[in-house]
Amino acid sequence: MTGAPLDPHLPYPATLLDRRQLSVDTALFRVAPEPAGLGALSRLVPGQFVQLSVPGGGEVPISPADLPGADGTLELCVRRVGHVTQLLHDAVPGQRLGLRGPFGTGFPVREMAGSPVLLLAGGLGIAPLRSLLFHLLRHRDEYGEITLMYGARQPELMLFREELVALAGQGGVRLYLTVDFAPQKPAGDFSCAVGLLPGLLRGFSFDAGSSYAAICGPPPLYRCLVGELEGAGVAPERIFLSLERRMRCGIGRCCHCAVGQMLCCTDGPVFRLSELQQIPEAL
Amino acid sequence: MEISYLKNHHLAQFLETLRLFGALHGPTVSEAGVASFAPITEPASLRLDYGRTLIPPKKYLLPFRENLLQFRDGSYQSAAPAAPEIVLFGVHPCDLDGIAYLDRVFMADPPDPCYAARRAGLTLVGVSCAPDDYCFCSSPPGSAPCDLFLTSCEGGFLLEAKTSKGEAVASAARELLLAPPSPPPTEASLECCALKPQDPQLRFSDHPLWERFAELCLSCGACSVCCPTCYCFDVREYSGLSGGGVRLREWDNCLFQGHGEVAGANFRETRLERLRYRFLHKYCGFSPLQGVVSCVGCGRCKAACPVDIDLRELIAPGVPDPGGLS
Repeated sequence: MTGAPLDPHLPYPATLLDRRQLSVDTALFRVAPEPAGLGALSRLVPGQFVQLSVPGGGEVPISPADLPGADGTLELCVRRVGHVTQLLHDAVPGQRLGLRGPFGTGFPVREMAGSPVLLLAGGLGIAPLRSLLFHLLRHRDEYGEITLMYGARQPELMLFREELVALAGQGGVRLYLTVDFAPQKPAGDFSCAVGLLPGLLRGFSFDAGSSYAAICGPPPLYRCLVGELEGAGVAPERIFLSLERRMRCGIGRCCHCAVGQMLCCTDGPVFRLSELQQIPEAL
Repeated sequence: MEISYLKNHHLAQFLETLRLFGALHGPTVSEAGVASFAPITEPASLRLDYGRTLIPPKKYLLPFRENLLQFRDGSYQSAAPAAPEIVLFGVHPCDLDGIAYLDRVFMADPPDPCYAARRAGLTLVGVSCAPDDYCFCSSPPGSAPCDLFLTSCEGGFLLEAKTSKGEAVASAARELLLAPPSPPPTEASLECCALKPQDPQLRFSDHPLWERFAELCLSCGACSVCCPTCYCFDVREYSGLSGGGVRLREWDNCLFQGHGEVAGANFRETRLERLRYRFLHKYCGFSPLQGVVSCVGCGRCKAACPVDIDLRELIAPGVPDPGGLS
């Protein structure tokens, strides 16, 4: 060791192991970090994010879909939506990647202990909440009732559907699925409710006073869901939202991601609703 | 710290001594009348009577574009620069305050290796100034953070070393330095009208000035480019034809529409929101620097704005409080 300070911009190397296509534009990438990164990643908390580098493309902030496996591999659920993610989708196993992080705050899994937890996911927002769900289920005895409500635009875009249904079948989590639109399907095919998440939540009876809620989804979803949750009596201190901003550096310097006077990359991306209520432009 | 006296006619020799500590840079004025910090090849090109440079000295620490990383065969390596030793002479107190603010941002843990390397190579020699109509300097006289400070006075400069680096410079120039005349010559007076940290709620207020500013603003970003403490950056990556490439950062600008974009949304779509974002950063501060005013009163933004927006109108005493601000 030379004692030189580490370069916070320098990713540690990682390799793409394999991929599983989840929908037409979204896949789950399994990534193996080299030993240099294992220590940092072992401290990952559900809801935190990593900066994923695809050489030649650049970097994107991704909240892993699960905590690292026993071998340190990371599951990243990524939609093909821009330059870097297109390159990732074009990559074949063995592709060299880079990782930095984890960065930011995660969901307060300790604070949630003993309480019912309501997870509300819209679209790709299922990725960080899958990580939280798996964590809760691995420590099932420490939490109250666990409920996942997941809305997607249409059945084909519902990610992890079979996996989630199987989990619900084991009894650890109450699962509610809904889609905005459902084309006609032959009899016998899987089906779920048609409607928006706020509607699903409206008809749901739960112990609002003691529950925690964790929300992740596209920006327009938050205002509606927050209104429903507060209407039902969930305290703003117990509502956690994972916000999306353009986080370039991940270490509070590039200044693209301010939410009020907080920075999404270091003070978030998981915020308490009570922290955001005085900031009209947060949601 | 001991104060010594440098006579005007020793200034040229003093500049030669400074060259022992690095390449000498200072304020110059081009034929077109644009003031800029540039290499001083001959003493005559130094213009200590400059008002303010168009681009602040942040360019020495955060170049407009610089490589952060290189990659080859899919592996990234640091591209921390081999920073040159530079003596930056003739920096006004407001710009020194600006550099001190950037230090707080980029030298905090973990320090930015590119910034730290350039900062270590930079020797700052400040000089007192005469405020003009655009100035609203916030540093009390004598407080400017630098290695060596020169206060203009009758017949020369009072010279004060403020760091060990500054002392080394003063020591190298000791044959040119005299005891300060007694009684001490009157220092050029510097009015201090420091801006206080602002209530962040002002940003979310319905103050009618916000609407007026937003109607005027062209989103040209000049106020941010010329600001000595605006440092926000974008990161880009480019491949070369031979397989390798670089990741670089370059100045970004919160007045530009793309600054608040994410996939499928823009959190600062309107000019009003972007003006407020800049106000919030300058006068209220983000995250660890909440409550720290990063406006140093250099007056550049006011001088550069093509539509004469002056955010200080919002916070100046005498602006009627429309209520709901406090």
